[in-house]
Amino acid sequence: MGLLRLSHSAALILKAISLGYCFGFDVMEITGLPSGTVYPALRRLERDELVESRWESEEDAFSNQRPARRYYQLTREGKAAALAATERYPLLARLLPEKHS
Amino acid sequence: MSTRPSPLPFFHRAILRSVQHIVPVTERDDFLRSWQAELWHMLHCVPRRRLNVVRLHIDLPLGVVSDALWLRTHSLRRILAGTPALCIASLLALSLLSFVLAVLSYGGRHALGLYLSRQAEHSLVAVPILLFVSYAIASFSHIELNSIPHTLRWINHLLFSALKTSLALLLTFLLSVCIARPLYIPLPRAADLLQILFFVIFALFAVRWSFHDQEQRCKHCLCSLATPARVGRPSHNLLEWTGTEQTCKQGHGRLSIPEIETSWHQYSRWIDQTSSFDHLSRA
Repeated sequence: MGLLRLSHSAALILKAISLGYCFGFDVMEITGLPSGTVYPALRRLERDELVESRWESEEDAFSNQRPARRYYQLTREGKAAALAATERYPLLARLLPEKHS
Repeated sequence: MSTRPSPLPFFHRAILRSVQHIVPVTERDDFLRSWQAELWHMLHCVPRRRLNVVRLHIDLPLGVVSDALWLRTHSLRRILAGTPALCIASLLALSLLSFVLAVLSYGGRHALGLYLSRQAEHSLVAVPILLFVSYAIASFSHIELNSIPHTLRWINHLLFSALKTSLALLLTFLLSVCIARPLYIPLPRAADLLQILFFVIFALFAVRWSFHDQEQRCKHCLCSLATPARVGRPSHNLLEWTGTEQTCKQGHGRLSIPEIETSWHQYSRWIDQTSSFDHLSRA
């Protein structure tokens, strides 16, 4: 039931996270969606327990001389939802390339 | 040797400082930390050629504002969902909207006032009859209370019910006035009668909704009951209890509604849990 309510933008964001784009600006850049869509959508996905976020450790961030980042990753439900979304919108898989770290 | 990250430019700091007041206090630190990290990344890690002026100075501030607004509305929704205050406020807002529509369709307050002074009289006569009929035909499920409600709570219950029903009636009256307006040109004689007819039909639904809504509220705090859960198997109706249980989000109690009325569970039952809740909170 929950999967059916996933909007196209939410599916796109979910797919981007599943491909390794794990923080806000990264997702925004790869999906081409405006920030006003991406950040509230990430909050909604987190509220619906499809994604979870964790803060990068202060030590890692400090050693790279930048503030700590908030990383998003898919939950088990999120992975299932991303898979269902790819089946529903096959174009998603072609729209987004996998992230090369 | 590592050094502290350089601060954000004045423009972005000013935006964050002003927008942070929209965000609920409990989530403000997290919001600021997230956005400081995001903005810092955009300004320092992304090549300049990929960051145009529109994105940097319009799109991102819009993102900050919409994120803050989402947090605020989400927090309000969490606090207000199902409360009697939200119910009354929604009915008031809808009545106000219907009044504005009525004023617009009649071409001014004076014209509407003249029409209402004539029609309100007939509609007011219909109200007691409507209430009586709705009460008589309403499918009330008798609710057994396992504790005697506090007098003040009982008065609150009655006041809320009366206010909700009155606002629902006002709303239906204004809606019937708006709907009847276009009928004055093709049916000038019948339009007045049709307006009363529309009012009666809408009001019957509204009053029934009001009674039903009252049943589905917590007997303690008047919030809507949530998380309906089916208990028992419908195929075992005569062997075991089947029905639905709804609980108060604040933990004041739960309403047990039988699927079919049986001699051993004839009525819906309100199970008050305030005493156990108080006991737990004291512990």
